Amino acid sequence: MPPIPRPLALLAELTYRCPLKCPYCSNPLELARYRHELDTATWQRVLAEAAALGVIQVHFSGGEPLVRRDLAELVQHARQLDLYSNLSTGATLADPATLERLKEAGLDALQISLLDARPDGNDWLTGAASFDKKRVAVENAKHLGFPVTLNVVLHRHNLDRIEEIIDLACRWDVDRLELAHVQYTGWAFRNRAALLPTREQVERAAEAVVQARRRLSERPAILHVLPDYFQQYPKACLHGWGRVFLTVAPDGAVLPCQTAREIPGLVFPNVREASLESIWFDAPVFQRFRGTDWMPEPCRSCERREIDFGGCRCQAFLLTGDPAATDPVCHLSPLHPVVERALVEPPREAAALQFRVITHSS
Amino acid sequence: MSSAIRRPVLVPHARYRWDKLRQQHQLVFPEGILVLNEPGAAIVQRCDGRPLAELLVALGEQFPDANLGEDVQGFLERLARKGLLRDATDS
Ligand code: SF4
Ligand code: SF4
Repeated sequence: MPPIPRPLALLAELTYRCPLKCPYCSNPLELARYRHELDTATWQRVLAEAAALGVIQVHFSGGEPLVRRDLAELVQHARQLDLYSNLSTGATLADPATLERLKEAGLDALQISLLDARPDGNDWLTGAASFDKKRVAVENAKHLGFPVTLNVVLHRHNLDRIEEIIDLACRWDVDRLELAHVQYTGWAFRNRAALLPTREQVERAAEAVVQARRRLSERPAILHVLPDYFQQYPKACLHGWGRVFLTVAPDGAVLPCQTAREIPGLVFPNVREASLESIWFDAPVFQRFRGTDWMPEPCRSCERREIDFGGCRCQAFLLTGDPAATDPVCHLSPLHPVVERALVEPPREAAALQFRVITHSS
Repeated sequence: MSSAIRRPVLVPHARYRWDKLRQQHQLVFPEGILVLNEPGAAIVQRCDGRPLAELLVALGEQFPDANLGEDVQGFLERLARKGLLRDATDS
């Protein structure tokens, strides 16, 4: 066994609470089970342990991290540890005073989600009047000198408006526009039939991005993440299980990947009971799909096994029932037909979208 | 795009840091980390919008034995292609 590499990035999911209801949210379906959040002191310890373990970047995320009153304090702590910090927010709670506190605390980068170029489309998908709040937040963030990335998740209902989305990113003058297709796990898997675009939509949109890049020359820089269902090979999920990333969930559970709770039978250690260092190097859940020894054929003897690492474990489980199977998105997988079938399934009406709900009030 | 960069400046989301644990110079940005060698680190730390000529003078003082001129331009262009650097004269 080669030595275990040290992680580079920590996803700090501060809370699952969120005022929005995006139907492709990556949070677990049983949100109410994880309401016992870590306190400030524990998060500070987690950040220090992460830095000592070799983490370079911390991504503060959620839920909506801005519901945590201690966010600026945690950012400042990360800064003191010389971690690079990035915040992903829906921005409806990003008032100028809050943004200013984050700036002073040393936040390095800001990602603001937007669901559609049109206010009605955005507000329908978030289940709240959020478009104008997001627009104002972008304006305020830029005013404070934050580098702003606008994050738009793509699917059947907004993909045809990709030009409008790019135009809007130009008008709002953001530094970067990230266009990433829905990943079909969690809420998005439940809503797959209503969210999956057609191949024609995907190809037309990809061409529109190429055209825009030519026209715009880097402002905004456009990052385009293609949907893996339409690719030949799976994406290099996590750059390999237990290799680069770790996630600490709101309740303190440490996950190799933010959606790993989808896989039954895995036991997740908790930062309340063990150090990040011992979890990263010794916990069975991090060893489970580390390296290449766990791989079945065709991955085991494939020359791409250290390029895409056999794809996504959560997706393999959701589509085949076996988390150790080759990701069926790969055209070499014997189970690839399950993906092809999903692509030709008749689309479900938008009305059938199941929005994220939380079954307790907090 | 191919014209020479005259006043190199790092984009605001790129930050230089020294990694004590790994004993590495790094340029960090939201999607990744670029490991830099000594001259690379010295260049990046001076990409603050000053004229390239000034930057080269400072480099020459730090690395008197190396002839870095052309390499510097190539290095800056690679960073620009990755979206990590801009020419301050453009904006
Ligand atoms: S995806 Fe939407 S609902 Fe889920 S945490 Fe983000 S903003 Fe909230
Ligand atoms: S067979 Fe496995 S390793 Fe090879 S390309 Fe497909 S998923 Fe990747």
